[in-house]
Amino acid sequence: MSPDSDSMNEIRFFGTLAAAMTHDMKNFLAIVNENAGLLADLAVRAQHQTIPVDPLKAETISRKIGKQVARADTLMKQFNRFAHSMDREKEWVDLEEAVDLVSRLAERILRQHRICLTVIPAPVPCRIHGFRFALLHLIYRAFEILTRHQTRELPDTEQEITVRFGTDPKIPEICFIRDSGPAFEPHTLFRSPEDQALLARGHMTNKPMDSGEGFCLRALSPVNE
Amino acid sequence: MSEKVLLVDDEKDFLDIMSERMEARGMTVKTATSADQALKMLENESFDAIVMDFKMPGMDGIQALKNIKSEKPELQIILLTGYATVEKTVEAMKIGATDLLEKPADLEELAAKIKQAKAEKMLLVKKQTEEKIKDILKRFGG
Repeated sequence: MSPDSDSMNEIRFFGTLAAAMTHDMKNFLAIVNENAGLLADLAVRAQHQTIPVDPLKAETISRKIGKQVARADTLMKQFNRFAHSMDREKEWVDLEEAVDLVSRLAERILRQHRICLTVIPAPVPCRIHGFRFALLHLIYRAFEILTRHQTRELPDTEQEITVRFGTDPKIPEICFIRDSGPAFEPHTLFRSPEDQALLARGHMTNKPMDSGEGFCLRALSPVNE
Repeated sequence: MSEKVLLVDDEKDFLDIMSERMEARGMTVKTATSADQALKMLENESFDAIVMDFKMPGMDGIQALKNIKSEKPELQIILLTGYATVEKTVEAMKIGATDLLEKPADLEELAAKIKQAKAEKMLLVKKQTEEKIKDILKRFGG
């Protein structure tokens, strides 16, 4: 595994989430733009046809703009947290929070694949001392494997995917389970050199489920806080 | 006569505000939140233009464009996209998109493109009708 291909893989991951985020931002801007346009329409009518602007209508428009600004603000905060995940090479990372962040940033991508995600809260603290960016990348890679492990045609109905966490705080674990579709073959999961390098960077290992319905990412060594 | 438009986007807030502004400009607007829903609506109804988001959950704009064009080649489809690259525009035009606009779009520009699309559709329908008449005359020796 050359350092170049490692870096390319990371840049690709960053780029994918950045593209999804900017697409959403454009949508929010489009709605703000149309609401501003509607206000302009009302102003023109008020000026030329002496129809006064309805205060309730103006309030509704203002509320709609505010809603889009709040959506954009939340998304920008999440993306900012993601961008800062590269700041420290090692820190305590809450895996439940990490799953939440990736699932929010990848929401558009998951929806495009008609994936409906359910995250079951962790029963015990699920923290690992590692490189946050690599862990986020690993979680995204798990989603990618789940979405690409479908049949070629997009399903007519939504695919349910459940994420749950392990019960032993000393050995943090995230499990990804799919409700339907062909069974995962253990030898095909995280076997590429890129995936192996990613697992190593995240200090995690992959453990396929015996039933073939999913797989878990587990800390490579016990955690001592 | 007003233009009849089908607006397709997965953002309901966008559909609501766009249809309100388009209707205020005299257009008749129907909406769909997915390409699948739009395809179902097209089975029973005709439109002068379809304005559709390029990227949607499930079937995306390009796939929907291919499906619609194979069934109803006379339909005029204007695609909306977050980022209108030259590559994307060429791809859309090759499959038969009438036009491609970048979001946030200027409504006056979109309205002008819808008017133009309606005129083009009428020409295509006229041509199709003439060809059908010619074919009938040929077959029955008129």
